[in-house]
Amino acid sequence: MISFDKVTKRFGSNLALSEVSIDCEAGTVHAITGENGAGKSTLMNLLAGVFSADGGEIRLRGEPISPERPADARRLGISTIFQELTLLPNLTIAENLFLGREPLRLGMVDRASMRRQAGSMIARLGSSLDVDAYCGDLSVADQHLVEIARGVSVDADVFIFDEPTAALNAPEVEKLGELLAALRASGKLVFYVSHRLDEIFRFCDRVSILKDGKHVETRPTQALTRDELVSLMVGRVLSKFFPPRPARPDGAPVALSVSGMRVREDSPQVSFELRSGEIVGLAGLEGQGQRNIIRALSGLEPVVGGKVTKGSETGPMPLGPDVVATARAGVGFVPEDRKTEGLYLPLSIDENITLGMLRRLPIWQLVKRRRDVIEELMGRLNVRSAGARQAVGELSGGNQQKVMIGRWLASGIDVLLLEEPTRGVDVGAKAEIYGLLREFANAGGAVLTVSSELLELLGLCDRILVVRRNEIVAELDGARAAEEEVMRYALMGRAEAGVHANA
Amino acid sequence: MLDLARGSRRTGLSPIVLVLPVALFVLLYLSSGTFRSLENLANVNSQVAALMIASLGQGIVAISGGIDLSVGSVMSLTSAILVTADPAWGVPIALAMGAAVGLVNGFGVTLFKVHPLVMTLATMTFVQGVALLLHPVPGGEVPGYLRALAVSQVAGVPAAFFWCGAAILLAWHLLGRSRFGLRTYAVGANPVSAGRNGIAVTRLKVACFVLCSLSAVVAGIFLTARVGAGDATMGAPYSLDTVTAMALGGIQLAGGSGSVLGIVAGVLTLGLISNGMNLMGVSPFLRAAVTGALLLVAIGLQRREAIGA
Amino acid sequence: MTRDAVSPASMTGQWLWRAGKTLLSLPFAYAALVILMVVAYFMRPALLSPMLLLLILRQAAPLGIAVLGQSLCMRVLSLDLSIGGVIVGVSYILTSGLLPFSEPVLLLVAVAFGVAVGLLNAFFITRLRASSVIVTLAVTLVITGVAVALSQLRSPGEAPEILRQLVRLKIGIVPVVLVIWALLLLAVAIFIRRSVFGRYVDAIGANPRAAWVSGIPYVRVVSVVHVMSSLFAVFAGFLLIGFVGIGSMDLGRDLALNSLAAVILGGVTFGSGKGGVLGPTVAALMLTFSFNLLTSLGLGEPAKLMLQGIIIGVAAAAYSVQRNN
Repeated sequence: MISFDKVTKRFGSNLALSEVSIDCEAGTVHAITGENGAGKSTLMNLLAGVFSADGGEIRLRGEPISPERPADARRLGISTIFQELTLLPNLTIAENLFLGREPLRLGMVDRASMRRQAGSMIARLGSSLDVDAYCGDLSVADQHLVEIARGVSVDADVFIFDEPTAALNAPEVEKLGELLAALRASGKLVFYVSHRLDEIFRFCDRVSILKDGKHVETRPTQALTRDELVSLMVGRVLSKFFPPRPARPDGAPVALSVSGMRVREDSPQVSFELRSGEIVGLAGLEGQGQRNIIRALSGLEPVVGGKVTKGSETGPMPLGPDVVATARAGVGFVPEDRKTEGLYLPLSIDENITLGMLRRLPIWQLVKRRRDVIEELMGRLNVRSAGARQAVGELSGGNQQKVMIGRWLASGIDVLLLEEPTRGVDVGAKAEIYGLLREFANAGGAVLTVSSELLELLGLCDRILVVRRNEIVAELDGARAAEEEVMRYALMGRAEAGVHANA
Repeated sequence: MLDLARGSRRTGLSPIVLVLPVALFVLLYLSSGTFRSLENLANVNSQVAALMIASLGQGIVAISGGIDLSVGSVMSLTSAILVTADPAWGVPIALAMGAAVGLVNGFGVTLFKVHPLVMTLATMTFVQGVALLLHPVPGGEVPGYLRALAVSQVAGVPAAFFWCGAAILLAWHLLGRSRFGLRTYAVGANPVSAGRNGIAVTRLKVACFVLCSLSAVVAGIFLTARVGAGDATMGAPYSLDTVTAMALGGIQLAGGSGSVLGIVAGVLTLGLISNGMNLMGVSPFLRAAVTGALLLVAIGLQRREAIGA
Repeated sequence: MTRDAVSPASMTGQWLWRAGKTLLSLPFAYAALVILMVVAYFMRPALLSPMLLLLILRQAAPLGIAVLGQSLCMRVLSLDLSIGGVIVGVSYILTSGLLPFSEPVLLLVAVAFGVAVGLLNAFFITRLRASSVIVTLAVTLVITGVAVALSQLRSPGEAPEILRQLVRLKIGIVPVVLVIWALLLLAVAIFIRRSVFGRYVDAIGANPRAAWVSGIPYVRVVSVVHVMSSLFAVFAGFLLIGFVGIGSMDLGRDLALNSLAAVILGGVTFGSGKGGVLGPTVAALMLTFSFNLLTSLGLGEPAKLMLQGIIIGVAAAAYSVQRNN
């Protein structure tokens, strides 16, 4: 039905997919799996018309296709249920299901027929949601359900489910399984992107494993065991570009203490301590709450209950949901998306860096241009540029990242929170950034970082906290932890992973 | 209080939006004998009609996530056109002008990505200039048939009532019954998601601005015909008054939420307050100040994400 | 665009390239002023006489001062359309004799009034997150409504003697008004360039989301900007009242829109994070000159409005296109 033939996709200098070739047959549920950043979503997005491939060919029934927009893909008979929600909150379920193809009667929207059809679409998924309810009032799980209902209501031959069960609970997952079986029975091809092992084994006929943008293996699920699958997903040699981890003295002062914090009303409590001189990583699969934890600590997102305090010379000081106060207290935050949330692209390098140094000054104070300080810092960061006056927007990704981190290093903070410290950065710059972070820690700073690249956390961190469903399920020693061990906890949680580890 | 002011997700209607005009009406009815008189009630209706027609247009733009400050100037220019152009051509020319202004606003906002407030402020100023150029001194003759359409009565019911009714019905059909309406709500809530669902966002937004300008033309025609003379500044207060009516009617200026019923309620609230103050002998200038204060309060109760323009 | 080293040979080329780029990126106001002067040279050469130029310069001062505040607002992605309202309020405070104070005290009251309006704007814009355009227009409606209503009871009278004297004073041939304007301009320019506040203004303008995420005191900066804008409006009002000699309820009504046009024309646009104080100042001059030119050509108020509208619309669209490319 669909064949990928040496498909290649790059983002800047980053090779996201490299000569991936997979054949997929009609009437199967085909799992695509792999670690975060392995290229699963990229591969599916090529098929869904979100991106175009840079090389190779995608064939539908032997005919080469290149959808350039989601609408093109839909016309070709490819329906995608995206991971992010595209429902309109102010429209009812029925209206959302038919938006863009509303049934008409006498020139008016035929609400009766719309509601009737919507009702049966929702019922097919085993749900009893009221089709007149506004989507904005639904839980995230129900919204995903509606999204799925819309996706499968399209008359298509190929369906892509991108992590459909991330927000669903058990009975709904069960229904989804029935739906997949029905699609298979009617001869459709279903792609099922997931790293939930039990679903792969229960729902899928075949599984393709991707790693670092390369196709590792495609096998019938019956011919695999769980442990085999996990070891196919992971297992690489650690690269050499991580700075050495110095021995950590016991009893280093606590830099940040988190106790009983909950990121959502119904999520479990999170408690941990971050000590001066250490780099701690939050590991886990995409969307398990690592990001919410780090954003809550930076004061950007509110938390439910719990207490966060920052160690200081004068004793512990409480932090609240206030970014300004948090920054002033000496906690810096580096967001993942440097272009929209991190840097001031039109401003120059020195202006960007200077902004960090002003953190504690009253706003009416005059500042001197600290040429020497900036030059010194730029030297230390090894920023390659035409000079301090160059606009940050003109720099390469790696140099932008260095400027963003450098802004906080220059500001005299002692706790640094990072999201994806090396996203979209070339290998050389990665090593330099790791060096900078280690230097900061060695000088008494404390670093907490979220990363979807497990290897990065394993190479860089002193400790790794594994997060699953908004909860810390394991604390591992960064120097000794193995990739498979972290993945086990991330995939299966505390109890099950423990059993497997013992077996 | 706060809960009473919280509106429904789609319609923006809250108890307070609906109760306010009724309460005002009862209050005025009980407290003022003049208010009760048929003449005054007909008068209120006429005063409200122009605001109603213009506000319905403003409402459509607001629901699509925009705002149109050029409404008032378009009304003014309509007035100037009606008394200067050939009587047979006045209305078509005015409608064509309205469509042109709407297109400029719409394309400025969508293709050129100018902030709707800045874009419509620009057209507001320009169109006001054209109106003054065309008809510097108030006066002139309004075509007889228009005058008849605006001031005559059918079975004792003033014509203004029919103008209002027709506009409300049309807006209700567009927003509540048609594909266009549903898609306008979708685009107002989230243009990106709406686009992913295959909706032509640019075309829809431009259409909203054109509709708004056209309704301003109709409002201008009615007002000019009722006053019986052209005035190149007669529409000036309407730009902000329509926005005030929106805010009072629970229409979220951030887009995606609002209803015809809300617009009607907002317009009535504003009209009754204005009429009430008139009856109480409040200076017209103070009335403007009260309208401004009302706008501040109503807009202050709406929650937005962004700070700034 | 990473350049590791620059060879001496390519230095001149690069310098030329940069100079050309700088010239092209100059705000439209400069070119427009030159074009207008050329037009005037052929059609109304009298306008270019030193005497008249000096007068036009003096006449531009209130707008020039108001523009200082407006440009700050625009740089933090806000707008202040209450400038006209503030001036009407100031005019009534100073000339109605409603308040039985001496002239210096009245001036202080006017300043306090400006601060109050600025704080009110800031409260609605930052705390309640209401649209700045709507808020400041509504505030204008309230102020002018009250002032005009009050003026029915007690009409505005003569301007304070201090102000009438002030606008007549000259140092040599240079009116003191111009000196005041220049000093304010210089003070603002230096303050914006050198202070923490100025850096924050740049940051918010360049990327409001990043400014928020990195803990810049957003609300305070925007509030201060609005208070400053209202204060500049008060000063502009002082000069206008001095010029006219008596209070009027029409004074400065078009200043809000003119200042907006000048700021856009002067190269300050939403979200560019750029824009100096000089561009808008030149634009203020250019606008004042163009209004004089229009008047001398027999075109009055309507042409003025149309010009303003075209400037705001076309310049905003042009800058937006430029930025998106």
